[in-house]
Amino acid sequence: MTRTSRRQFLRAAAGTSAGLASWLTLGRAPAFAQKRELTFLSWNHFVPAADVELRTQAEAFGKQANCTVRVDTIAHLQMPAKVAAEAQSQSGHDMYRTNADDPFLYEQQLADVTDIVDKLGKEGGGWYKFAAEACQTGSGWRAVPWFWISFPGTYNQTIFKKAGLEAPKTWDELLKHGKVLKKAGHPVGLPISHCSDAHSSYWSIAWSHGAKVIEADGKTPAIDSEQTARVIEWYKELFKDAMEPEVLSWDDAGNNRFILSGKGSWIHNPVSPYAAAVAKKMPVADDLNHHSSPAGPAGTHSAPPILSIGIWKFSKNIELAKEFTQFLMRKDNYDAWIVASNAFNHPPLKNLADHPIWARNPKLAMLPGEAEFAHPRGWPAKPSAAVRLIDVNYVMADMVAKAINGMPTKRAMAWAQDQVALAIKGQLQKGGKS
Amino acid sequence: MAVGPQALEATGLSRPGRLSRLHEWLQQEHVFGYALILPALLLLTCLVAYPFGMAIYFSLSDYWVGSPGEFVGLQNFRDILGNEVFRRTVYNSFVFTAIAVTLKTLLGLWLAMLLFRSLRFKRLVRGAVLLPWVIPTALSTLGWWWMFDSLYSVVNWSAIRLNLIDPPGPNWLGVTSYAMAAVIAVNVWRGLPFFAIIVLAGLVSISREYYEAAEVDGAGSWARFRHVTLPLLKPVLAVVILFSTIFTFSDFNIVYVLTRGGPVNTTHLFATLAYQVGLNGGNLGQGAAISLFLFPMLAAVVFVQLRWIRRE
Repeated sequence: MTRTSRRQFLRAAAGTSAGLASWLTLGRAPAFAQKRELTFLSWNHFVPAADVELRTQAEAFGKQANCTVRVDTIAHLQMPAKVAAEAQSQSGHDMYRTNADDPFLYEQQLADVTDIVDKLGKEGGGWYKFAAEACQTGSGWRAVPWFWISFPGTYNQTIFKKAGLEAPKTWDELLKHGKVLKKAGHPVGLPISHCSDAHSSYWSIAWSHGAKVIEADGKTPAIDSEQTARVIEWYKELFKDAMEPEVLSWDDAGNNRFILSGKGSWIHNPVSPYAAAVAKKMPVADDLNHHSSPAGPAGTHSAPPILSIGIWKFSKNIELAKEFTQFLMRKDNYDAWIVASNAFNHPPLKNLADHPIWARNPKLAMLPGEAEFAHPRGWPAKPSAAVRLIDVNYVMADMVAKAINGMPTKRAMAWAQDQVALAIKGQLQKGGKS
Repeated sequence: MAVGPQALEATGLSRPGRLSRLHEWLQQEHVFGYALILPALLLLTCLVAYPFGMAIYFSLSDYWVGSPGEFVGLQNFRDILGNEVFRRTVYNSFVFTAIAVTLKTLLGLWLAMLLFRSLRFKRLVRGAVLLPWVIPTALSTLGWWWMFDSLYSVVNWSAIRLNLIDPPGPNWLGVTSYAMAAVIAVNVWRGLPFFAIIVLAGLVSISREYYEAAEVDGAGSWARFRHVTLPLLKPVLAVVILFSTIFTFSDFNIVYVLTRGGPVNTTHLFATLAYQVGLNGGNLGQGAAISLFLFPMLAAVVFVQLRWIRRE
């Protein structure tokens, strides 16, 4: 037996215990036994089964690529702050679910993914137009379009039939129908309040009337225009003759409750009320149906949520993250994910949009096609910090509400123009320096 | 027997180790005192001073989420003052705080007097009164939000059934004056117990002898309240009004849950607007400037009230 000196023993013991301690405190295996770990930050999906499927696919990818994939999900309202913190500290997840404006806000911090976007586009029959509008910055694609959520019209077909009406094809037709429906005790509803839906609808209606908020250059306020004046007048008439004052107080679920209660005859929203009615076996499920977002003099346009996958430049696993993204977009995986989300997730790739889940249900058949009319908020300007600020400050909803409350249309527009100018100015002061 | 290191050294038994030197150093009164307040000081530095310093730094920079800021002096303050929405928020905050604190003072005094009487189930009643203050605000405000809902408002439903109002009743959260009334009502509901319990403590501490003396002098109940209760409660009232003013000015939850600042920004308070602009909108510089606007105002309120208390 070799004798171990006291000093040797102490050194060995200290080394072992320090190693053990670091293993215990870090809660993971020491480096030599460690697999690569890829981390993905997403939101708590409104249809929880979609997250289960996402994690299943993450595990499958892990086995295939000999790594572990960790999918963390948090409440969607916490995403902006969490993402800002990761950008700030240059640490956190490798990849995350971006909002439409993130590729532009974090242009400097997100990795260029143009190569896989091109590849996926070629294989998948091409991207819808909104994909580039939401993810392609001046310096290349900074995120891979992942999915979007359609924003069609939802109507109570039984009430419409009783009144002898068809689903409205244009905003003017909605106004005409709404007047009849309100008299019959079933008003229509568009939120004009501090909620996200209010703006989703405003953007659609404004674009369909040829109105803009910011010029395509991203620097010139454009809300004060004849077209916007027409939109406001349209809103005023709809409010007076086809809606009830409650639309001024709605949150994002206000219109859902309104149509599910059987009182409302029409709303503009994702198909969540119908999904909820089917899931809870509510009788109103049979009455509900959907139609394409209405058109205006300048065509059909809509502003649905557009969600993508961004990979941080600070990530040490950029290539692996790109592989995982392509894995998620593979037809068999994407199809399974659509089914898990109960048709809530719509694909940005044309070949993925032919999934039978929509075609099977005539009430949902038109949904994937809505992609043709979609734009990120701010269009024709690119998404930007100013657009986000205008959006979260509910500038357009407030402009319409002011006009409805009696402020002359011109003054309400001037107020909004001022707010838009202030938001742009804030961004421009910043611009060029960052 | 405890033997100090000096004693040991004197006997030549052992040289003091590093540990014992530290021990000795700590035993000095001025060092030990500071050591005792160190944890609290650390906590205050990390959780109060550091965020406050950061907020000041943000407010003086053009800091947007995702891109570092540069020093811009008072530009953010000039920008927000030039914005109608911010000016409206200043107005809202004063109206909200003035009405809510006045109501809480009057009703709190009244409630405290009621609770002071010997009631049956005194403890139970006193405990129950505290409930609104104990329940997490976000949760109880959700209850209120449901009561003010445009479609399912139980407030309107009851009033219509009692023939007090015509259907469909007020649109609580959609009309400026009603929405302000609603957020004030919930704030008063929530803040009242704090007022009542502290005033009650003040009432209990007033010696009965004063009342007896006043009665002997022929003072009625109003005169007793006016000349005995109120003057003796003044110090307690001043402190509780001071605290309440601060809490009310900086309220966030109630407005955020009920109206999100709507309709048309007429219920926005500093905290909700700062959150909207800074965190949701990404303009951290302006967001910080908006929330810091509270600071000089509250400092002025505190200064005036504390002086008044001292004079009393």
